[in-house]
Amino acid sequence: MINETELVERLKQGDEIAFKTIVEQWKDMVYNTILGIVQNETEAEDLAQDVFIKVFEKISTFKGDSKFSTWLYRIATTTALDHLRSKKRKKRFGFLQSLTGSGGDEKEQIPDFHHPGVNLDNKERAAVLFKAIDALPENQKSAYMLHKLEGLSYRDVSEVLNTTVSAVESLMSRANQNLRKQLEEYYNKHYR
Amino acid sequence: MTPNEKIQQEIEKTLQSLDGIKRAEANAFLFTRIKARMNKKPGGWEEGIFSFVSKPLIAIAIILLVMAVNGWALWGSGTSEAVNGDTTYSELANEYNTVASVNNYDYENTPNE
Repeated sequence: MINETELVERLKQGDEIAFKTIVEQWKDMVYNTILGIVQNETEAEDLAQDVFIKVFEKISTFKGDSKFSTWLYRIATTTALDHLRSKKRKKRFGFLQSLTGSGGDEKEQIPDFHHPGVNLDNKERAAVLFKAIDALPENQKSAYMLHKLEGLSYRDVSEVLNTTVSAVESLMSRANQNLRKQLEEYYNKHYR
Repeated sequence: MTPNEKIQQEIEKTLQSLDGIKRAEANAFLFTRIKARMNKKPGGWEEGIFSFVSKPLIAIAIILLVMAVNGWALWGSGTSEAVNGDTTYSELANEYNTVASVNNYDYENTPNE
């Protein structure tokens, strides 16, 4: 099996086999990270493709200061967050649709994303949690997803997000507080 | 158990619902799709112009520009009419007289030619 450094060097020389090996080796990691953030399987697949195309195009900028997987996580997270920002911008123009009566429903959004890796017994609860995660600020969402979904340590998360371990601890603490608050509102509404 | 305790219990269970989650698997043909996208020829200048014009900000700017040009044209034509009003009316009257003499529909009173 070819090691990571050699793969990167070969990819820098435009080796297609090295590129294929990289895609096959890291595709689940990239897809899972993006899926957790965008919470849509079709969009996650398209974005995973975008990530690997960026890797192919930008590999010359990878200096090896961090692990290749850290660099990959960083591209995946940024790509997913950029996509969410672009979606939000498009939603702001949704008022035009509501004027013509073709959209802009103010219906309460029900939890509808089901992560394929969740245990069946927890399916409904996880959907409620994902809905709450979706409402978190970007940096809290990224930290929470990388830690909970990808199982990264706080140190690894801090390297991906280019911040300190204490900053990640703070992000996780605030994310948990926000999630509790949202879940409390949700269960108050649905249990009383 | 009080309702509050029940809710707190639900929250705890929900927060733990991602424990032991498995990694989602990407499409088995992801590499083939990536290659297909990379081999796809980049769009021509028409595609570039379309994608530029279809950006919401650019589209709104173009609409505002068209509306401004329309307003200016209307306001401009109104002013020129006021200045050259007499000339225009007389030209119009002359033209209609000419037309009336050619297309006379008052058949009963039309003198025989």
